Amino acid sequence: MLNIDKLFQVAKEKGIQDIQVYLSTSTNLSVEIFEGEVDKYEIADNTSLTVKGVFNNKMGVYSTEVISDELIDEIVDTVIASAKVIDSDDDAIIYEGDDQYEEVEGLYNDDLTQLDVAKKIETLKKMDQKFHNFDKRVKNVETSYTETINSILLQNSKGLKLENKANASYIVGQVIVADENDQRTGFDVKITNDFNDYNIDELVEEITNDALNSLGAQPVPSKNYEILFSGLSLATLFSAFQNVFSAQAVQKGISLLKGKLGEVVGSELINVVDDPFMKKSASSRSFDDEGVATKHKYLIKNGVLNTYLHNLVTAKKDGVKSTGNGFGGGIRAVNMMIEPGLTPFDEMLASVKDGIYITNVQGAHAGANPVSGDFSLQAAGYYVVDGKIVSPVALITVAGNFLEMLKDVILVGNESKMTYYGITCPAVKVKSMIVSGK
Amino acid sequence: MLLEKKLIEELLDAGLSRGADFAEVFVEETDSTMLQSLSGKLEKANSSKLFGVGIRLAKKFQTVYGYTNSQNPEDLLKLADDLSKSFSDDQLTKRVPLMELEVGPRHNAEIKPQDVPLTDKVALMKKAYKAAADYDEVIQQVIIYLLDNTQNVLIANSEGRFVTETRYRVRIGINSVAAKDGVMQTGGVGPGSGKGFEYLFNEIDVEEYGKEASRIAITMLNAEECPSGVMPVVIHNGFGGVIFHEACGHPLEATSVAKNASVFCNKMGTKVASDIVTAIDDGTIENRWGSANYDDEGYPQQRRVLIENGVLKSYMIDKLNGRRMNAEATGSSRRQNYKFAPTSRMSNTYIDNGESTFDEIIQDTKYGLFAAKLGGGSVNPGNGDFNFAVMEGYMIRDGKIAEPVRGASLVGNGANILYKIDMIANNLESARGMCGSVSGSIPADVGQPTLRVTEITVGGKRGA
Repeated sequence: MLNIDKLFQVAKEKGIQDIQVYLSTSTNLSVEIFEGEVDKYEIADNTSLTVKGVFNNKMGVYSTEVISDELIDEIVDTVIASAKVIDSDDDAIIYEGDDQYEEVEGLYNDDLTQLDVAKKIETLKKMDQKFHNFDKRVKNVETSYTETINSILLQNSKGLKLENKANASYIVGQVIVADENDQRTGFDVKITNDFNDYNIDELVEEITNDALNSLGAQPVPSKNYEILFSGLSLATLFSAFQNVFSAQAVQKGISLLKGKLGEVVGSELINVVDDPFMKKSASSRSFDDEGVATKHKYLIKNGVLNTYLHNLVTAKKDGVKSTGNGFGGGIRAVNMMIEPGLTPFDEMLASVKDGIYITNVQGAHAGANPVSGDFSLQAAGYYVVDGKIVSPVALITVAGNFLEMLKDVILVGNESKMTYYGITCPAVKVKSMIVSGK
Repeated sequence: MLLEKKLIEELLDAGLSRGADFAEVFVEETDSTMLQSLSGKLEKANSSKLFGVGIRLAKKFQTVYGYTNSQNPEDLLKLADDLSKSFSDDQLTKRVPLMELEVGPRHNAEIKPQDVPLTDKVALMKKAYKAAADYDEVIQQVIIYLLDNTQNVLIANSEGRFVTETRYRVRIGINSVAAKDGVMQTGGVGPGSGKGFEYLFNEIDVEEYGKEASRIAITMLNAEECPSGVMPVVIHNGFGGVIFHEACGHPLEATSVAKNASVFCNKMGTKVASDIVTAIDDGTIENRWGSANYDDEGYPQQRRVLIENGVLKSYMIDKLNGRRMNAEATGSSRRQNYKFAPTSRMSNTYIDNGESTFDEIIQDTKYGLFAAKLGGGSVNPGNGDFNFAVMEGYMIRDGKIAEPVRGASLVGNGANILYKIDMIANNLESARGMCGSVSGSIPADVGQPTLRVTEITVGGKRGA
């Protein structure tokens, strides 16, 4: 392993003003079941070291998976070479630390680690069986279980030393269902670090019903429809646009939220939160990768843009405090959440006169422009007339602009769902959007 | 040598010790650099080194995989031993002695990334920046990435295979942002190669690429919203090939075919496309973005004719999915790095030249969309539904390219669209992409000549 004191000493001798190491160690377990048998089994461990150093007031960076005292000179030299070519005006800051770091409860659950692998495999096999028994139109099933343990050590030459240990697990279920005329798929992921949270029956039922109900799905005629987004489809949209909240993007002039602080950017029903202390989220953290204490904050409060997400550099530029969102050299939310509203789902559905309940959107990495806010995405779901689901819909696109859509939200559901995008969302109803179909 | 041969043999033996019938060791050391500039100023110069060992064992259809970045022989032997415990069988498979093959002789780099000083890389970025920024006053921002990657691999297995190879990739990404009256639009280019820096320094003109990025951004700034509806779409050559990659390439990978999860299952030798469609996946093209001497199971990369004159001729198959399919592997096994078990993936995939010309196709189209540049997309291999974004588009009216349109996306079904290709030009070109799937994100080339699809759903904001 690495002698960090020695690294800091060599760095100082070579002219590095301040230095920080970020050591991440993780282990991984993953099991996949196909046709009732263990198809894949994976175990892994991984350690990586990222070193940041300030040289001539510029920040140099090097990361490596080969970690040994013999490489200290090479690490320091590479950091210096990196700093030497930087000519941006950004400040290079190594942080001295905050007075207080809020403890995040339950980040590491030892019961999960201790639970026998055989038990985990048994649960998956049971799930596989339940999928197959659910309906004879179920043709193909894949289930998998993944578990990770991650430890972080952050230490710098300003005397800051922080540690974090977390574990997480998730179960993935996917099915293909088919009848004489059509073939559809169902997919979902449940994330938790408490094995008791897994409700296999519920997961199987939701995934399979979703697939079965979409058999025979067809495009609808192209026109404007009322749109009801499921929590998952809304989270997909937010994942495509989450970078617009980054102060980095704002300062670079590539965020559509530039100049909009304190302004109305969405319907007053819209509340967007970054909650770094969310329970059972493996992303939850009491400090960011720069050593800044994380905080709970509203990004959008009653439709008004409340704050951007900052790291040390962007905060200094704007004359504010970092919001504790400096991760991986950039900026991101820890746990983004769109707060649930008041309307039960049944009422939302009942209020739709001529619309589409969108359960799934695809292609958000390509069909959404985070700079302009425009998107046009493949969608699937159900055609709704007078409050009732009429038929399944597929191969349509729903198009709009992210901010216009937020302003057009007229109902927010009272239940939210933590999705595999790491974003928690309720269902929302949008006044009207353009749908392209047949 | 990344790892002593003797240790590799011990790892393979440990892997086979409890009844696995196949053992494989993959060792990797990768050095990469990512430089990023904004408005001509260098903001990031991140170098990184990856090192790790992946051990894979199999018995019939069951696979176990483990990886670590420890170089300690005891840790590695423990990993092999732990993995072997997944099997219990008295019948042991004998290991074939390692037969060391020649180091992959092709796809070399003349100017190796590690020999290029960071300052030279930065100078190239500034040149591209200036050309992009000076193109027009509405260009508000230019973001440039320069990436290089040198991957050393060693692959050995219990069947005696033993290969080593060094793979190089270099790429520059130029993204221009044009803004006017509160509207922002972007344009981007991303030339790259499986060569060294000779490609970026001598073979391409980064200034031309910089101008191209800005030209697209400005065209889209002045474009109208795309109308929506079902219409003929002419998809231009080069990155237009992403349509085949997404819609047909992925479902032809053994990853989905072996598990009966592809629309192309049981279709070998049957007609799956219109007669004029021939499609190829060729991992042997010299120095191409998706090429290599060996695949990530250590078998030679190949040229695979997937579809010939509309008839399905080959899937892309890796060794272990091949067992399920009762078929030979096609040298198609790839992975992002040692953190992924390999599986069947595309390399350089393209639709071959047809007999029409670009002009003929446009002239023959009364009304439709000309998708000049496509963005990324995705496909559901279970039913073939796909989507992709149009980054630069124009309406076609009365056989002529008319006004630019923005915000379009195309959705369709892979199995259907192949029948709807009715004209293919003779101007095959390819472009670079990064392809994400179960074994990670890998460099993959896409390509095609300009072609026409008789009808496809176009999603845009202007309505029908």
